[in-house]
Amino acid sequence: MTAIAFPLSLTLAYAGILLICLGMQRHWKQLAHPRLPAQLRPACALLGAASLALAVYTCSFIWHPGMAWVAWFGMISLAGLALLLLLPYSTRMALGLPVAGAALCGVAAVWL
Amino acid sequence: MSLSHPAWSLLLRTLLALLGGYLFTYTATAALARLLPVGRYDAVVIASLLSFAVYTAFILWAYAVHSLSRLALAVALSLPLALIGFWPQLLELTA
Amino acid sequence: MKQRSLTQSMSWLHTWCGLLLGWVLFAIFLTGTLAVFDRELNVWMQPELPTRAVNQTLAAETAQRWLEREHPQATSWNIGLPTERAPSLSVSTGEQRRGVRTLLDAQTGEVLEARQTVGGNFFFRFHYTLHTPRNIGIWLVGFAAMAMLVAIISGIIIHKKIFKDFFTFRPAKGQRSWLDGHNASAVLLLPFHLMITYTGLVIFFLIYMPAALDVLYDGNRQAMQRDARAGSVQQQATAAQGEGRAVRGENTQAGGQRGEGRGEGGQRRGEHPVENAPLPPLADFIAKGEAHYGAGMLSALSVSNPGKADARVTVRPLLGSRIELTKGESLVFSAVTGKVLQAPPPSGASQLTQRVMAGLHFAQFGGYPMRWLYFICGLVSCVMIASGLVLYTVKQRKQAKGSRTFLNIAERINIASVAGLSVACVALLWANRLIPAELIGRGQWETRVFFGVWALSLLHAALRPVFVAWREQFYAAAALCLALPLLSLLNTFPMDGMRVGVEVTSVALGLLLGWLAWKIPASARSAPARKPRAARLAGAEQ
Repeated sequence: MTAIAFPLSLTLAYAGILLICLGMQRHWKQLAHPRLPAQLRPACALLGAASLALAVYTCSFIWHPGMAWVAWFGMISLAGLALLLLLPYSTRMALGLPVAGAALCGVAAVWL
Repeated sequence: MSLSHPAWSLLLRTLLALLGGYLFTYTATAALARLLPVGRYDAVVIASLLSFAVYTAFILWAYAVHSLSRLALAVALSLPLALIGFWPQLLELTA
Repeated sequence: MKQRSLTQSMSWLHTWCGLLLGWVLFAIFLTGTLAVFDRELNVWMQPELPTRAVNQTLAAETAQRWLEREHPQATSWNIGLPTERAPSLSVSTGEQRRGVRTLLDAQTGEVLEARQTVGGNFFFRFHYTLHTPRNIGIWLVGFAAMAMLVAIISGIIIHKKIFKDFFTFRPAKGQRSWLDGHNASAVLLLPFHLMITYTGLVIFFLIYMPAALDVLYDGNRQAMQRDARAGSVQQQATAAQGEGRAVRGENTQAGGQRGEGRGEGGQRRGEHPVENAPLPPLADFIAKGEAHYGAGMLSALSVSNPGKADARVTVRPLLGSRIELTKGESLVFSAVTGKVLQAPPPSGASQLTQRVMAGLHFAQFGGYPMRWLYFICGLVSCVMIASGLVLYTVKQRKQAKGSRTFLNIAERINIASVAGLSVACVALLWANRLIPAELIGRGQWETRVFFGVWALSLLHAALRPVFVAWREQFYAAAALCLALPLLSLLNTFPMDGMRVGVEVTSVALGLLLGWLAWKIPASARSAPARKPRAARLAGAEQ
């Protein structure tokens, strides 16, 4: 269970942070501007918050509630850092990471 | 180095911030512990745990405030705070 | 200081607080981060010991047999049970904390010889004592922690664009990049930094701020601890009274204390000789202990007056089932009747708060996933502090004003505090393997290597040009980290998951350090100014 829930929580945390980042004017231009319509931008922040909330839920599969919150704070901080490091070097990787994460969870789920 | 050199003012401010600040925090914690309407043990824990935030805030304010006399006045507040906190012990001494 | 705005005064405060205490804070944070895996490092640093998983019940039986054979007359036995992170079985007699520990093979009962080492505990103790006599170091670390809080809050105050620049990082732009990196690592991990610093102070709160204790208890800690127990649910003393004497709460309070070995049995024994009674198998008490604490959640057993009618068995839990720090807690049984004499009372609200805060700092909960999160966050904190230290020198180098001498000194101390300390830490591990295992006092020698290498790094930093020194020291650290597994490969030590884990982590850190060293330019002027691809495409200059 932990083997699936841990990467899943990390993926959801990162996806949430990414969406919140997309919700910011400056980064929307950097990441999504030409391809996606600008009306989607406000929805991003909300979706991001939802993803983060979901991440707390998946954390609670690994740890009991109190500990899950502690781990969640650590995960969103580190996810933010990962995004920050990817942005100047490869926006494609920054956007693609949640997909890779989801794939990893899928593999873990099938294997175990 | 003459006494009006800014280094002296900085030294004084630092002493007031760090030492004066600790004195202020000590007496404020004592006063808070005395005043909190909870049991002795709980009062000690609550007041002590909050003290670090008090000390931090004092140090920040000590470097932000313009006049050193204001700062000295704040440190001097330690006296009434000490009285609030330690009045039973003081009564015992004078009895 | 002339009249200044809030931003100016806070900026000044942040700079000086950060610079002067940053050197100490980096050491505290680096050793603290390494201490997350102190037990694992202990295992790595005693490679002679086997680490196959052993059932605690079997281990207790082995220990009991050995103790009954070797020390039947002792007044107390202490057994350190094998656990996931500390897989060896150890026994000692006499006072729990003081006795000389003997390591036993949990299956055969034979005494094991392992090299004496300071272990991963060295980093743990250095983290809060800075290797100074006990309370001096604790006060220094407390002072540094207060400086950290001041630096954090002042940093927040002066960071005007804290939300706008949340995800901003512009590499390869000199001072701008250093500022971005420092801001980003600080802001993104703000919850961690605030939590770890404040909770660190909370651990020793009565030492740092005894005001409330002085005013309400006249400074009497024991009286306060008595109140802590009285305030929560009382354990029935009837079981104890059935033994023929009343249990005085203070005596066996919060277990693991010195009283454990003596117990009040020792005080009254002279009056009536106590009859002998065979000690039941200790394995039974493991089962009883697990019923209370959970399967596999025990760390140690102590027996006082084994072989007598008033023998007691104390069971100590493994930390980690909850955040609350329950160090020193224990469950006491009568050996003969098996009844519970003393159970740890649940903590009252304020005590629980303090213990949860302490527990958040100690990070003994949540298993390996949590431990890794703490470790990585700790490393990022180290990067945050180091980037701040470097930012100061980068800024000062650009500005013509200011003392060149001071800048020069600051640069050298930076190198020794950051790169030099890193070399020293991995050098400790090398010393552990290279110093002959049979040498008496080799623990002292390991410590000397640590401080010797650190001192050498300061000398090196003073003699070499600044950038060269940074590069050489980081390459040295990288080389030592990358080559660490060779030390084990060149010997016939048993391989196991934990030791491999330590070595893999070392290699990973070595790669990181090597990359860092490679990125350091030959000098300030030759720093490349390539814009990263994505920024060029977006064409946005914010």
